[in-house]
Formats: sequence, structure tokens, C-alpha cells
Amino acid sequence: MIRKLRAGMMPPPGARRPAARALDALAESLEAIIDARAAAAPNPGWRTFQRLNRAEYQRSIHELLALDIDARQYLPLDTKSANFDNIADVQLLSPMLMNSYLHAASEISRLAVGDPNATPGETTFKVTRWVSQRDQVEGAPYGTRGGLAVIHNFPADGKYVFRVSFHHETTGALHGSGRAALHTAEAPEQIEISIDGDQVALFDIDRWMHASDPGGVNILTDPLPVTAGPHRVAAAFVRQFEGPVQDLISPHDWSLASTSIADAYGFTSLPHLRDLAVRGPYEPTGMSETPSRRKIFTCRPAAPGAELGCAREIITRLATQAYRRPLTADNLDGLMSLYEAGTTAGAGGFEAGIRLALEGILASPHFVFRFEEPPAGAGADTTASSAAFTLDDFDLASRLSFFLWATGPDAELLRVASEGRLAAPDELERQVRRMLADPRAEALATRFAAQWLRLSDLEKIHPDVRTYPDFDEQLKAAMVRETELFFHNLVRQDRSLLELFTADYTFLNERLAKHYRIPDVFGNEFRRVTHPDAARQGVLGHGSVLTLTSHAIRTSPVLRGKWVMEVLLGSPPPPPPPNVPDLEETAASEGGRLRSVRERMEQHRSNPACNSCHRIIDPIGLALENFDVTGAWRIKDNGVPIDATGELYDGTPLSSPADLRQALLSRPTPLIRTFTENLMAYALGRRLEYYDMPTVRAITRDAGTRDHRLSAFILGIVNSPAFQRKGDAAVAQVTDVNGEP
Amino acid sequence: MTLITGKHLPRRTFLRGLGVTVALPYLDAFVPAGKQWIPSVAGAAPDPTRLVAIEIVHGAAGSTEYGASKNLWSPAAVGRDFDLAASALSPLEPYRRYLTIISDTDVESAEAVIPKEIGGDHFRSSATFLTQAHPKQTESSDVRAGASLDQLYAQRFGQDTPIPSMQFCIENVDQAGGCAYGYSCVYTDTISWASPSEPLPMIRDPRLAFDQLFGAGGTREARAERRRARRSVLDFITGEVADLRRTLDPSDRRRMERYLEDIREMERRIDRIEAQNTSGELRELPGAPAGVPDSFDEHVKLMFDLQALALESDMTRVFSFKLGRDASSRVYPESSVAKGFHPASHHGGRENNIEDFTLINRYHVSLLPYFLDKLLSIEEGGQTLLDKTMIVYGSPMGDPNVHNHKRCPLIVLGGANGQLDGNLHVRAEPGTPMANVMLTLMQRLGFEEMQRFGDSTGAFSLSA
Repeated sequence: MIRKLRAGMMPPPGARRPAARALDALAESLEAIIDARAAAAPNPGWRTFQRLNRAEYQRSIHELLALDIDARQYLPLDTKSANFDNIADVQLLSPMLMNSYLHAASEISRLAVGDPNATPGETTFKVTRWVSQRDQVEGAPYGTRGGLAVIHNFPADGKYVFRVSFHHETTGALHGSGRAALHTAEAPEQIEISIDGDQVALFDIDRWMHASDPGGVNILTDPLPVTAGPHRVAAAFVRQFEGPVQDLISPHDWSLASTSIADAYGFTSLPHLRDLAVRGPYEPTGMSETPSRRKIFTCRPAAPGAELGCAREIITRLATQAYRRPLTADNLDGLMSLYEAGTTAGAGGFEAGIRLALEGILASPHFVFRFEEPPAGAGADTTASSAAFTLDDFDLASRLSFFLWATGPDAELLRVASEGRLAAPDELERQVRRMLADPRAEALATRFAAQWLRLSDLEKIHPDVRTYPDFDEQLKAAMVRETELFFHNLVRQDRSLLELFTADYTFLNERLAKHYRIPDVFGNEFRRVTHPDAARQGVLGHGSVLTLTSHAIRTSPVLRGKWVMEVLLGSPPPPPPPNVPDLEETAASEGGRLRSVRERMEQHRSNPACNSCHRIIDPIGLALENFDVTGAWRIKDNGVPIDATGELYDGTPLSSPADLRQALLSRPTPLIRTFTENLMAYALGRRLEYYDMPTVRAITRDAGTRDHRLSAFILGIVNSPAFQRKGDAAVAQVTDVNGEP
Repeated sequence: MTLITGKHLPRRTFLRGLGVTVALPYLDAFVPAGKQWIPSVAGAAPDPTRLVAIEIVHGAAGSTEYGASKNLWSPAAVGRDFDLAASALSPLEPYRRYLTIISDTDVESAEAVIPKEIGGDHFRSSATFLTQAHPKQTESSDVRAGASLDQLYAQRFGQDTPIPSMQFCIENVDQAGGCAYGYSCVYTDTISWASPSEPLPMIRDPRLAFDQLFGAGGTREARAERRRARRSVLDFITGEVADLRRTLDPSDRRRMERYLEDIREMERRIDRIEAQNTSGELRELPGAPAGVPDSFDEHVKLMFDLQALALESDMTRVFSFKLGRDASSRVYPESSVAKGFHPASHHGGRENNIEDFTLINRYHVSLLPYFLDKLLSIEEGGQTLLDKTMIVYGSPMGDPNVHNHKRCPLIVLGGANGQLDGNLHVRAEPGTPMANVMLTLMQRLGFEEMQRFGDSTGAFSLSA
């Protein structure tokens, strides 16, 4: 109720409304009563132990082994709760999950140590159909178009075969070979394969190749020698034309978003890469040094007797980092016996022993789970519920690094923790500021903000190819990047949270700037751009948010309104009753004229059952109607001039995105608190409960005295008992993770 | 033993063809032709029925009044002489001797019980299909539905294979922001429940599925070496867990007990695989498929390839397979309908929209013959694998326009080791729970003593 009062949603529109000051006073006095009670009996809350999710696992492997993997290849999807994928109590365990961690440990340890006896395998990199292949793609050589560039980890020195396959028509004919094709027998399309920028193969593409051919629409290279470790592999077409193309249609920038209109008159079609596969190694010859091997083998046994000492040194260092705390004697004994087993089995030897110990480290519950143990002698041996306790320095270091970096603590944090100094307020603040300045703090943008703002919803959005021909996958990626860079900048520069809504700058590359009609931005690099456009200011002017709240063919004021209410204000509207007619049910045209979204909304809202909620939701979204499905500015919808007027739930008249922004900012408390709640849930790995609200209010009050700087929120959370203490499971009234009472 | 002739391709040949065309079945011909069924561990039934349970979301056009009158799902005649021409089931006409249609059963458990649940049909529906139990409205870990049909079966009859059961899906399950109407995402993401509180995740990536079914490693020796390493690692983890349990608080400790069971399960799997390997069976397994294909069609076929291969090589006998995800707006170009699945399902009761929706239903059904043909092509002792398999295909929703769960689509395919006659259409009395059919299926699968399944009110007569 406090939330709705603070947002101005209570009393509901239409009801008699006391003065704003009286309402604020009511909310304040309610808050004061609750906060006073909470201060008397603070409850830090409880959660079960977290496990590493995909993002954390991937980053941890990078830190530990200097190896970039794609965790999606190994681990099942993370279940989300309250917006986030790191909420402990929905991280259920199962044999399948166990198997996934074991499999990952086995594969990754082999990849990191390298396997001179590796048997050939195949890795395929796909290009989605929605990617435009007109222009150079990031990482591919200049003078090429389309294709893709990837970093691939080669398991051993040896020979590798590269396969490129192309998109084909449903008939089986190579796509881009028809009437409108550019290539001829004299000047065929060509594709180049390069490794670390050096061309290793160049092929003419046979325009008559067909899916029913024995080799299909594929080209294979001869076996080519490549050394072990990560290399950038690119497969891209040689660019054979420059300048504008005047086509009747160009769906999604000539991507294959629609294959049905791809080969027609008035449409320039070119071959599209479908995937690139790397196979090998054939005839492996050994292992070159790789970043991972350098990271692992910090010592080499000089004499046969020196092996054990060197192994112990390597294993101790790796396991300490992986387990995020000093090893016990038992930990080390277990790993050393794995080492011994590895040296004697099969081909054996020192490296095989290290590899098996590494597999053990990666499969260990100490790595996969984040346990927080009560201090010794705190009654942990009894079956009784343990009392609340303050986390030790190592667990605090882990909480901190997973919160700010989405990975385990670095050497500096572990050092401070081992000296027992981390919990000291000055040192803690020093560490937080150090960590926020580190590039790894990008996780707050790419993980926290991306999930909070629901950027991943963009993955599912494919605007209609005919209505929005200028959209493509690259634009979509640029939109996500914009919002992430924008948020990361707030963190890095320690700006005010309110700039999230008011900033007159953003981060753009040429593609996105053109989309926004902001001039003088050239090239693929993103850079900070200040612009005078009031409508574009803040995150409500970001293409990402505007697109992810749209349908393929029309904007959705309802989704946009709902997004603002849920994500920014923390007050989700109630669900619609069943059997409501969809907006699609309203006539899309009237007397032969297409109606605008607004006209259809008005008709929809004439139903009283719908009106009670939609009068709150819709005006928010309607204020953004000048942004089309892809977030581009428009003045007409289906030929009808845009009417963005409406009345916010508190009676404020709205007619533009700037009005909406101002109206929301006139009452900033719900915006700030909702942000804090989300940040705190992400930091703690649990959903917030009623007893956390006094903490949220204290943090926001305090942040208010520090210009709402991002660091004030982050430090507020880090300094809260909820972050530094672990409560009593029974007091926190959390159901057991296995659903048992 | 000797291998009978063979389309027995070496691994490299397989790799060369991999991912090349959509039309080529990826995993064909890698299991030697005419392979003997692997004798199962002593004491178990010699050749239990294989079970595949497939869910499609959003009901069917035939569940509407108009659709029923036009026989868009259920044919007009009951018994054996029914006409499928108008029905979305028409692609199954050539397989009618393996087809049992059960019309007009309801999934009452998917309906809202209390006002707070009204409107949440999409986020609760899938959890009811194989459980026929009403899901508890919660976003926390205290999820509750029922043990699912496939899991009950796997727990009793799937224990002799290296993997008791597998769960596959097609749609991406990570919906941003979690799920709606106060329901945990697991209700929408999976149809398999090991117990009322244990939803099982489903695998979308064929590569992941492949590695889990057949193990990583390029050769037999490499796979054996990896199994040895896995054993040592499992021993090591067991030791670590024992230490840990001393220091954790009681709730966390309970969670670790569960984890320990998972470790033992992994050990059991290795035992079973090794027991099979020493049974004299020589099999060269193919390399793993590369990843999730773009196209729905291709993806579904690849998942069917894996299921057929796994059933044939007896790696597992139980599959659940989720073809869709509730409220998905996926467009199926092959269906010739341009509308998304969910928008099209809200047909508004208009005849032309309902007809369009039928095309989508028919398209989904048309994917089944690919799988049926595979199972038919595997013959042993005068019986095909399809004769030994029971495939349940249906939806826990009826008319998706109004989110109801009445007159839901349900068919059963395969001979189920003589338990299903095929070529049969049975129409249920109005108000009959789908759970009654599930109960009867369970009884025929070997649960003779079972009296109740989900919200069943009695057995269901599957005769002409």
C-alpha cells in the first residue's frame, strides 16, 4: 500500500484525492512506524546456498584458467525468480544438473590443459537468419561482408578442417543465386577463411550448388595446420560491390528474416553464411603454449622427484582461487590423490595428473556451490537450527565479488580477507570502490541492469520484416549494447541514479545513431554522444526498452505501460480477467482505412471490465506512442497523426515522452526504491521480504543525501546486515528448498 | 556377436554430412542394422514398452464448437471406420493401425480453483498434462503439482537402462522476468515431475542431449577413459560432501543429502553403461550434433532422431518431449499460417481464424510421421519398435481462445507391446477427466494395481 501511495496510484483515478502533501505525510508516518519496529528487531534474512549459474560459471572459468567458454554449451538454463537468475531457492538440484557440472569439469579441464591425443571433434558456430550480411561484421577482415568471426579454442596443435555452409531455398538451391544474384561465372561470389586475420583459404562459390548435392551447400577446406589455444577464426564473403542498392524491398537489411520474399525481382540477393564448423584435430602433433597452460603450469618439474612438489603448488593455487578460500588439509589430500590417480592411468604423466585434479576442482561442491559456513563452534554440529551469524571475511569477499563482478574474488580481495581486515568499514568501502573501477564491474550492467530492465526479452522480438525493413540483428545488438554501456557509465562515473531517466547523452555507434537520426556518428565503435532531443533522454528513449515492449507489427501502449509499472515503479498491474478480447479483436480498419493503435486501444477500453486497469496502464504507454515498434521517432501511425495525450493515474496531463519522464520524476521515491529493491535482491540472491523494506528505505534515504550516486546504493547494500549476516532459517520463515515443511 | 549387414557409417562420414542439409536425418544408420536388443538386467521384464509423451500447448481448433462441428480434430465417427480427411490428424492416415484417438476429455486440474488463479492458465497448463494434478500457485521453490506419468513409469520400468528417462523440449525456456500470475516458471518450462515437488528440467540443445545419452569422447577407448576419470572424481566429491555436512546449517545440510543422492545416481549410471559394454555389444556411436538448429522443423526432427537412436540402443526407454511453450508467438512458416502460435490461438471464435489455427495443429501433427517411420524401420523378431512403443500426444488445453481445458486433444500411437489395438476412435462422455485415460494407460503399461491417477474418477474403456 505504501508503494502505491508513493507512486501516486492510490487513491485510484476518479476517486476524491487529498492533497499530495497529506498523502506523502500518510506514507511517511506508516513507514516510520514499521521502520522503528524493524530497527528494534533486525532480521538479516536467510537463503540456502547459491550455485554458480551460467554467467558466473563462465566468468569464473575465465578468471581461473584464462579460458573463454560458452557456459550455455554445458549447463542447463537458469531458472529466474523476481527478475534474476541467481536466486538461491529456485536453484534446484537434480541428477541432470550434477551430470552437467561433471561433464563441464571433464571437458573444460581437457580444453585448458590441452590434449595432444585429442580425437577429432566438431564445433559449429551458427549465424542467425536475422543478421544482415551486407556489411562487414565485427572481427572479420576489412573488405569483406557478412559471415562471422569467432574465437575458437583449438585443443591441440594439429590439422583442422573448416566447413562453411550456406543458406538455401526451400527448393534446395543456394540462396542468392537466382535472378537477382550479382555473381556470374566470370565474377563468382567468393568466401575467405582467415585465422587471426591471415587468409588461409579462398573459395569461389559455385552458384549452382544444391542441397541435394552429395556435399550439400557446403564448402570444406583441406586440413590446415593450426596451433593449440584460442584463435580468431573468420569466414566472410569478399565484398564485390559498394554504394547504395535501390531495391523495392530490403527486409531487415537484406537479412533472411523472411525467406519467402528473398528471391524476387527488385531484390538483390546474395549468398548468406549459415554456419561455420571447425573439425579436428587430425594428426595432432603436440601442444603449443596457450594462455590457459601458462596460467596452469606455473612450475615445471625439473627432475623426476620434483613432480609432487610442483603439483602441490599448482593445485593449491588453483583450488584456493576456485574454492574462494584457503584449502584445508583434507581438501588438498583429496585433490592430490586425484593427481596420483591421473599420473598412473592411461598414458599418464604429470600433465594428466594435473588435469584430473583440475577436473576434480571444477566438479567440487566448493567450486560449484557458494557455501556460507557458520563460525566454528556456533552450534553447527547440532541438528538444531543455527542462530544468525556474521559472515566470515572470505564469505563476505565472495558475496562482494559475485555482486559486483559476477565471479569469485581476485587475489587482492582474498589477501585482505585472509588478513581479517575486509569487514572493517573503511577497508570495505575502499575495496568496493576499487572493484567498481575495475572493468569486471561491467557485470552490474550486463547482468544486473540487463535482467532488471529485461533486455533479454529482445531476443524474442522480430519486428515485421515488411513494416520495419530497416531493422536487423545488428541494430538489435546495438540497442542492447547502448543500454548496457549507458548503465555501466553510471557505475563507472558514479553518477546519480536519476540520470538513468534524465541523461541528455547516451552511447551510440553509426548504425544506432542513424536509427535515432542523430547526425555525425560514424563507425562501429560506440561512443558517448550528447544530444538535445528531449524525447530521447534517459532509458525511456532507448531503442532496447521501446522495442522489447512492442509487438512485431504494432506498438503496445499496454506492454510499455506495464513495463514502466513493473520494472520502474515496482507496482505491476493486476492480470487481465480470462476471456478478454485481445486488442487484435478490435477491427484493424474502418471504412477501408487502417486504424491507429490508439484508435484500437480506445475501442478496447470502452469495455468497462478493461477500463478500470487500462486507464492506469495505457496513458503511460500512449505517451511513448511517437516511438514506433523499433524505437524510431514517428509522427503518424497507419496514416493517422500520433496522439500521445493522456492523463496519468494521478491526474497529470501527458502528451510526450518528456511529460511522462517529468511526471515520474516529480515523485521519484518509487523509482529509487524499486531500483534499490532489485539491486538488493540481485546482491543477496534472494527475493526481498517485507522485513527488508526498512533497509531499502534506509538505503534510499541515505543515498538521497549523496546525490543518489550509484556508489551510495551499492555501499548501502554492502553495509546492510542483510548482506553481511546470514539469518536463521527458521526465523526467516523460508520453506525448505525441497518443498518439505 | 556378429553384426548383420550394415548401413554402418564410420564417424567421419557422419561428421562430413552433419548439418549439411535439413532433409537428411542426422543420426540414421549409425546403429548397426539388425542389432539385437540388449538383454536387460536380470529380474526385469524382458522387453518393456517404450514410452514417449509429447505435449503441444494451446489446445486445438477442433476443441471449439465450430471446430467440433467441422471435425477439425475429432473425426465424426467413433469406432474403427472414421474419416480423418477434415481433421488436423490427417497426416496420420497412413498410420491408422497405430492410432488411438480419445476425444472430449477434460483437464479440470488446469482450471482456476480460487479467484487469484483466474487468468493464469498459460502458466499452469503444462504442469497438468502428464500429472493431471492442480499446480500450487507459487513463485518460490515450494512448487507442487504431481508425479508425472512418464516419471512414474521410469521409476518402475526404466531403471535397467543407463538413463531412466530423458526430457526434451524445443522452445527456449528463459523468459525474461520469470513467469506471470504468481506461477513459478517451472510450471511452464517442463512437463515431467519426478515427484509432486520435483520438476525436471528439459534439454533443448541436441548436443547436450547427445553427450548425456552417449557420453563424450570420440572413441570407445576415450569414453572408457572418461568414465574412469568420472569415477575418481565422484569418489572425491563424495569425500568433500562428507566433510561439508559437518559444517552446514540444517537446511543446507538437507539440500546436500539430496546432492549426495545425485552423486550416487551418477555412479549407478556408470555401472549400467559398463554392464552394457561388457555384454559383448559392439557399437560405434556417432559424433554429437552441433547445436540447436534455427528451424523448428529441423530441431524437432533432430530430437526425434535422438529419441529413436536412444530407444534403439536402449540407453533409455522413457522420453517426454515438449514441443511448444505456452504463450509462444512462434511463427511456423511450414504451416502456411503467417500468424504467431499464440495470437492465432486466440481465434476469437471466427470461422476463418479457427480454420487457420487448424493448419497449425495439422502442421504439428505432421511432424509425427517422421518419428513413426523411424520406429517402424527398426525391426526385431517380426516386430517393429513402434509395436513396442506407446506415444502419448496431446494438449492440456482445449479451446485456447478462452483458455479452457475442455474437450482437449489427445491421441495415443504405437502398439505398446500389444496393449493398444490401434485404428480406434473413442469419444468420452462429457466431463470425463483426461486423467481417466492416463489411468488406463498406466494400467496397460504395467501398473495393474493403480486405482487413481491425478484427478481420475475411474478407468477408461479403450475399446471399439
